[in-house]
Amino acid sequence: MPKGFYSILIALTALTLIGATVVWGQSGESEPPRAVREAPGEFQFVRLAYTANRYGQGNWRRQMWQTDWPDAEHHFLKGISRLTRVAAAEQGRILTPLDQSIYDFPWIYAVEVGYWHLNTQEAARLRDYLLRGGFLMVDDFHGAWEWSSFVASMQRVFPDRPIVDIPEDDEAFHVIYDLDHRIQIPSRMYTYTGQTWEKGGKTPHWRGIYDDEGRLMVSINFNMDIGDAWEHADWPDYPENMTALAYRFGINYLIYAMTH
Amino acid sequence: MFEFLFNYPRDDYARSELIYAGDWPLWLLVLLSTAAIAGISWFLYQRRSVVRPPQMMTVWVLQIAMLALVIWILQQPTLSTEQLRAGENAVAFVLDISESMAYGESESRLQQAMRSLSTSLAEDSSLELAVQHYELSDRARPVDSFLDTEPSGTETSIAASLTDVLREARFNPLAAIVLSSDGADTRGGLSPADLAELAGFGVPIHTIAVGRESIPEDIELTDVLLPNKVLPGSTITARVSIRHDDAANTRIKVYNGDALLESLPVELRQDTRSTTAWVNIELAEAGHHHLRFSLDGIPGEQELRNNSRSTLVEVADQEYRILYFEGEPRWEYKFMRRALAGDEDLKIVSLLRVSPNKYYRQGIDSPEQLENGFPATRDELFSYDALIIGSVEAASLSGEQQKIIHDFVSERGGSLLMIAGPNGLGNGGWGQSQIADVLPVRLPPSTTNSFFRKKAAVVLTPQGADDQMLRLADTTDANRQSWNELPEVADYQVTGGLKPAAVTLLNVMTDVGLLPLLVKQPFGRGHSYILATGGTWRWQMSMPVENQSHETFWRQLLRALVASAPNSVSLTASGDAGSTEISLRSEFRDDAFRPVNDIAVTAVVTHQDGDSWEVELAPSVDEPGVFQANITPTASGTWYFEAVAERNGEPIDVARASIHYESGQAEYFNFRRDSRALQRLSEATGGRYLELDELDALPDLLRYSSSGITETDYRPIWDAPAVFLLLLLLKGGEWMLRRRWSTI
Repeated sequence: MPKGFYSILIALTALTLIGATVVWGQSGESEPPRAVREAPGEFQFVRLAYTANRYGQGNWRRQMWQTDWPDAEHHFLKGISRLTRVAAAEQGRILTPLDQSIYDFPWIYAVEVGYWHLNTQEAARLRDYLLRGGFLMVDDFHGAWEWSSFVASMQRVFPDRPIVDIPEDDEAFHVIYDLDHRIQIPSRMYTYTGQTWEKGGKTPHWRGIYDDEGRLMVSINFNMDIGDAWEHADWPDYPENMTALAYRFGINYLIYAMTH
Repeated sequence: MFEFLFNYPRDDYARSELIYAGDWPLWLLVLLSTAAIAGISWFLYQRRSVVRPPQMMTVWVLQIAMLALVIWILQQPTLSTEQLRAGENAVAFVLDISESMAYGESESRLQQAMRSLSTSLAEDSSLELAVQHYELSDRARPVDSFLDTEPSGTETSIAASLTDVLREARFNPLAAIVLSSDGADTRGGLSPADLAELAGFGVPIHTIAVGRESIPEDIELTDVLLPNKVLPGSTITARVSIRHDDAANTRIKVYNGDALLESLPVELRQDTRSTTAWVNIELAEAGHHHLRFSLDGIPGEQELRNNSRSTLVEVADQEYRILYFEGEPRWEYKFMRRALAGDEDLKIVSLLRVSPNKYYRQGIDSPEQLENGFPATRDELFSYDALIIGSVEAASLSGEQQKIIHDFVSERGGSLLMIAGPNGLGNGGWGQSQIADVLPVRLPPSTTNSFFRKKAAVVLTPQGADDQMLRLADTTDANRQSWNELPEVADYQVTGGLKPAAVTLLNVMTDVGLLPLLVKQPFGRGHSYILATGGTWRWQMSMPVENQSHETFWRQLLRALVASAPNSVSLTASGDAGSTEISLRSEFRDDAFRPVNDIAVTAVVTHQDGDSWEVELAPSVDEPGVFQANITPTASGTWYFEAVAERNGEPIDVARASIHYESGQAEYFNFRRDSRALQRLSEATGGRYLELDELDALPDLLRYSSSGITETDYRPIWDAPAVFLLLLLLKGGEWMLRRRWSTI
């Protein structure tokens, strides 16, 4: 064998493996950058990249907080632009709770919060953010276990504020659309199973946390999957009425946050 | 030396006219001159072989000059001087007896003045002037002498008093007025019109100044500036001005009745004569508050009565309504409403266009309110005290609605605030709308984008630093620091050029430099404001929740907007410190803010002790809906007024006002000698300003007065030694030159 043959072979093999990994990793949906380049607009959809518990670590391709990304916000932003006068940026953005620029975006969205695990620092930041006037919409978590996991972190944020059911007459349900007739918004699995609930979460609950002036700071959409309805808005199989309701909820929460 | 050479003093030449007493006919003089010049010329020409041309010219000039001097002498030059005829004229001695003349150390000003007048003519009685004595304060009063004079005048009006003297002496030969005063006038001083009127009488007024221009041992509370009407819970910032002639330390104390509200130390620096201090006061309860501002005296200070001023502030328990019309949901809308959520005196009624076909209303009193969108009638819009327009196009309103907005500011006296936005200000076409002239800026056209979503830092202007609306901290330095520490705003909009009456209170630092951010101007009876950003919400989100800067900014801005908006019915009472009268001015307008004239207005005047009477207010000739009267208060203290409007005997409306009045205080303020005023008075009337050590000049000033009965004195000057010396010089000089040139 020529001198150095084995060295070259090992090097080529390593390069091949690395290249395959890269190519394979890029198949389907690509890895999201941590921070999307700033786009102009009064409103920009911000997805919260939280710290997850050990069950919510996801995999090297996708984290739990990335669920439905990017189509959910992509579709939702188009709906905002079409149905409201909000000057919405075309692109969403991803921020962690500790990202200082989070204060520039008074409305944020967090998904699969049954798997979040906010540490003390993140909880303090979120508390400060909300008390200054920020608004948090959480979505897509189901069943008792995920509820308890969510509450554990939420109580680190607001140990002294209760989580209550949003009253029927709250402006959040009427600011643009009257959401008197609400149904459970399921994930796309509904199109396969015909079942609107998952993980034991049969009853949808719209809950919230209020500030001292009676303004909703956190909208908690438990036992439903609004994000999936946005994401699959262009799926023929996903029920239109559920998609429409999901848009209405999102728009109501946004307009509420921009008026209260 | 001058008098030796020219026979008479320089002043005599200045006040006299040069005439020629000789009676030689002109034609003879011309003939003789011509003959002499011809003879001299011919004689010199004959000797041209002996004398070179330059020498000849020199001799010719000297001889012609000599000839001219001789002809001048033959004409008998004479000084013609007008002077008073002895025994046929009078002089008015006017003595300022106002209370400021009592000031002094070993000798009061009044004593100095009396002495100056009594000694001014003592050494020269040749004029035999009849002296008339007058005491000057608010008017002039003739007296027999100044023996029993006391500094008792509570006001000083130099112009009115001298006019009294001149009118009384109109048919008498008044040669001059001699005024001895400190020049401190409490009626606003001598205006150009006053001076012109006094000069028109043709009598010179000589002034003798007493007192000092600088009094280092005295400090004075010259002015207290604060709004006379505020909302409950407002923090009022009073601007206190202090006059001083030296460095000192004092303390400003503010009392509400007997209760001490604030005590603030103030350093008075040596490099300035006036110091301004800001004092924050909180008045929570509704009603009238009598505030007294006082300064602690400095060592050696004699006059302490000018260290205190009182004023009345009304805390109006009234809810003000603001209409906010916004064209798109945005964060500025949310955070502005949050900032004002706890303010019980401001009610924000907002109309927000959330979608192309839907408006969202907040703060409404009933479902019917604004259900048809933006108000379309004067009555509806005029029910608000201020209007805010956000990011909405001018085209979204009809021409009639725009006209109503225009009238809202100009006639109703409401305040208009326009906020930046992608569809607002220039982008919204407001620069070409019917309210363009209301705005304090010339907005750019809508064809060019003027709105930028770029963060930018806000800069407080000097005018903004002085405006109470923008006070974020108690002291000037702390306030400036607070503004410097504010986070950047989220966006800004180019406003275009400022109009002449516009004032820029805030600027924004952009990548093209400083641009106006908060601008205001008065318009008609109201005001208009531009806030060229929709991004102050970043202050709230970027600073700790405890920081109230954002809330304070919006509360004070909107309170300033509504506080300046008049009610449909109003009554104001005004009167300067020391004035003897209070002016009442009431204005009655209907719900559409149109003047009401078919009414009779009567005011009930009540003193704090209970004394009360009625006075009728007369309609103003110039201003429809305005009724006025002057009253003379009978005592110091707080006076309350209630103006009742009646139509056909039935009361239809009531307006109330109050004022704190203090009589006889004017003389304690601004009592430094005003030399400049006395100088202007003398210059305007042909008199002369004199210090106490210049009184020797007074007899001659009177003697040669241009007023009164005068006679002409003729004095020849041809025999002055200077003339003889000139003759000698001319002839002697010619002779010496000839000898030098060996032509003799």
